[in-house]
Amino acid sequence: MTAITLAADPRAPLARRNPTVKAALLLVVSLGVILLDAPAPLLVLWLIALAVGRWAAGLRWRTLLLAQLPFLLFAVGVVSVNALTRPGEPLLDAPVHASAEGTVLGVAFALRGFVIGTGTIAFLASTPPRELMTSLVQHARLSPHYAAALLAGHRMLEAMPERWAVIRAAQAVRAPLDRRGRPRSGVGGFARSAFALLVASIRSSERIALALESRGLGDGPRTIWRPVPLTRADALLALAVPLAFAAVVAACALTLGWGAV
Amino acid sequence: MKQLALRDIVLLVMLGVVFGFLYWALVQAWNALAVAMGPAGDLAQHVLFGGWLLVAPLAVAIIRRPLVGVIAEVIASVIEVVFLGSPAGPTLLIAAALQGAGSELPFALTRYRRYGWWVFAVSGLLGAGLVFFYSAFRAGWYGQEILFLRLGMQLVSGLVLGGLLAKVLVDALRRTGVLDEFAIGRADAALNAPQRVG
Repeated sequence: MTAITLAADPRAPLARRNPTVKAALLLVVSLGVILLDAPAPLLVLWLIALAVGRWAAGLRWRTLLLAQLPFLLFAVGVVSVNALTRPGEPLLDAPVHASAEGTVLGVAFALRGFVIGTGTIAFLASTPPRELMTSLVQHARLSPHYAAALLAGHRMLEAMPERWAVIRAAQAVRAPLDRRGRPRSGVGGFARSAFALLVASIRSSERIALALESRGLGDGPRTIWRPVPLTRADALLALAVPLAFAAVVAACALTLGWGAV
Repeated sequence: MKQLALRDIVLLVMLGVVFGFLYWALVQAWNALAVAMGPAGDLAQHVLFGGWLLVAPLAVAIIRRPLVGVIAEVIASVIEVVFLGSPAGPTLLIAAALQGAGSELPFALTRYRRYGWWVFAVSGLLGAGLVFFYSAFRAGWYGQEILFLRLGMQLVSGLVLGGLLAKVLVDALRRTGVLDEFAIGRADAALNAPQRVG
């Protein structure tokens, strides 16, 4: 059900890097991207992110480009809203007023979404959840309680569509019928099913907690199954990514002027 | 501060999972609608905004411990990004922490003792209000002519969907008996216990 049926090569270069380092770099780059509001550097960063997704994370072009579709839909809304609601030189006066400044800014904001989204896809495709949690426990001092609970949550999430279908079916049996004899289900029905799902899930969360405790979680220090390595290559990556980001911004500023950053 | 019990941590994760799943289902329908609305779609996101806040007031009201609201929101955002593949990426984690902080503040000010309609209402308002300034910066809403329209819509949504609806849900959950073993259930039991006279 999830979007992470991203078929990626497990031997890709990025898949061998440490998940905590990758997550931290993604955060840093995303924060950096939020500070930029001109299209030029963001466009370059997006192209780089696409290259990272293709060659470093080992995604196929098809997967990578299909994953851009939601950002494109988002971009349409962002560009049009900014064009229509910002003052400036008219780009279009009839039938509605659209400003040139607003359009440029809108394109930049939309590109932010492309850069962060593509980076996130490359990260997720190259990082199995178990390794991320293990690495966060090892290298970011995440409590193993949270890691174990989150991994149990991952399993539960995969079971959600089936639970949902069972609840919907059970409620359809008792639902009043419409004129053609089919069960009626409106917004109210959806809300009732959602509440039933919530109640059942809280019940099962208690059982899961018991199961984890009966396996000794919360009983003092623990060893780690299949530890995730943190190597010199990870340190290099941690240096290279911020440097590359700074280089792109500097190059755009030098060639196009600081206004273009 | 004492660490949270494993039971409480798993509950926080489960709340994140359930709402993550429901949002995911909702967003599929929502995206199609937003595209159909064109520029209005970008504005309409504020109408449903309050729904994203629900996890924090629920968690605080059930577990009744400091920081639970912030932790609940952050866990929910981790589930959305890492397990559901939300393209908002790490920027969502920051927004979630701010939402959680805003939602939790009124409960903290009443020292986690009051759970009436007013506290939930203020929780929804602050949850929506605090994060607005970050979202406005991240998405570039400053300088748009509709900034205050956005703020107003988001506050109303936070009040209704992120505050009052949370109170309705907590009361309904409490009646099912599923919360009996959590802090909220123990508080109810203490209230209903036979009082010793004399």
